[in-house]
Amino acid sequence: MKLTEIQADALGELGNIGAAHAATTLSQMLMSNIEMDVPAVDIIDIAQFYKCVGDEKVALVVFRIKGEVEGEGFVVVTMPLASAIRMTNTMLGMDDMDREINEMDQSAIIEIGNIMVSAFLDATAGLLGIVMLPSPPALCIDMAHAGMEALIAEVAMETNDVVIFRTNLTSGEHAIDGTILMFLTPEMLGNLLSLLEALTSQGM
Amino acid sequence: MAEFRPIDVNARFIGIGEYYVGGDAMTTIGLGSCIALILHDERHGVGAMAHVMLPESKGQTDRPGKYADTALVTLLEGLGAFGSRNGSIRAKMVGGANMFGFNDNNLNIGERNIEAVHNALKEKRIFLDAEDVGGKVGRSVIYNPKAGGEIVVRRADGVCAEL
Repeated sequence: MKLTEIQADALGELGNIGAAHAATTLSQMLMSNIEMDVPAVDIIDIAQFYKCVGDEKVALVVFRIKGEVEGEGFVVVTMPLASAIRMTNTMLGMDDMDREINEMDQSAIIEIGNIMVSAFLDATAGLLGIVMLPSPPALCIDMAHAGMEALIAEVAMETNDVVIFRTNLTSGEHAIDGTILMFLTPEMLGNLLSLLEALTSQGM
Repeated sequence: MAEFRPIDVNARFIGIGEYYVGGDAMTTIGLGSCIALILHDERHGVGAMAHVMLPESKGQTDRPGKYADTALVTLLEGLGAFGSRNGSIRAKMVGGANMFGFNDNNLNIGERNIEAVHNALKEKRIFLDAEDVGGKVGRSVIYNPKAGGEIVVRRADGVCAEL
C-alpha cells in the first residue's frame, strides 16, 4: 500500500488542522505557548514498528474513533513520564518533580488527553463534514511499544501495513513533550481519503 | 542478577509477525498483547522465536509468524531442518498482556493469544517449560539458544528476571 503525493499532502493537512486545535487546547490548559512540528503520515509494515517506537516507559491515553466513518482507528496521546509529571505540576502550581507518577497525575493525563483528542477529532470531522467522536479514554503507563501493540493488532488484522499519523507538541517553557498519534485501518484511511477528494473536487 | 541491554547485545530483532530459527541470540522489545513464542532445543543448541500478534490465521499464509496457529508449525519446520525432533524441543512464552485493562473481548487480544498458543502447543505435544504471560505489563525479552537457552525478561519498571 502506498499513498500518492496528493493523498499524503491531503492527509497531512487534515492531521495538521486536528493537531493545531489539540495544541490550542493544551496551550490554554497550561497557559503557555505550545510548539507543534510538521505532522508526518507514514504507512509502516508492522514488522518494522519497533524501529519507530521503543520500550521506554511512557504515559499513553487511547481513544477509539467513533462516528460516521467506517473502519477502525485510534487516536493516542503519549508523553514521557517526566513530562506527564511536569504537566500536572504546571497545571496545579506544584514543583515537586522528584516523585512517582500518582493517581492525580493519571486523572490529569486522561482529562487533558480527552480535551485534546476531542478537539483533534472535532476539527478534522468538521473539515470533512462528518461526525467523529472519541470513545471513553483508556490509560496505560508502560512501555510505549507494548501499549501500541494492542492497537496495531486491531488495525492490522487483515493487512501488514498500518497507517500512522504523528505530530509532536512541545512546551519549551515547561519542558513538556507529547505526541499525538493516529492509527488507522486501510479501510478507514480509504474512507477519509475519499471524503478529502470529494472536498478538493469541490474547489476547496 | 539477570541483565537486559538490547542495544548492547548483538541479537536479531524480531518485529511484530516475524520469526527466526537458528543459533543466534534473538530479541523482541515491548511485548504488549503480542506473545514471544520461544522453542529451544538443548541437544542441538538451536532455537526459534516468533512475535505472535493474533490467535488465528484464518487462512492467511503470507506471515506465518503473525498468528499463533501458523507460527508454531513454521517454527517446528524450521527447527526440523537443524535435526530437532518434537521430543527434544521445549517451549517458553512471554507476553499476552492486557495493557488497557479492558475486559471486553475487543481489546483483550492478549488473553486470546495466550489461549491460542497453549492450544497449539498441546496439539503438537510440545512441552511448555515456563511462561511469563498476562497481567497489565509490557515485557521485552532476549533469548540466546547457545547459552543453555537462557531467556531474560525485562519489564517496564526495569526489573529483569530469568525465565
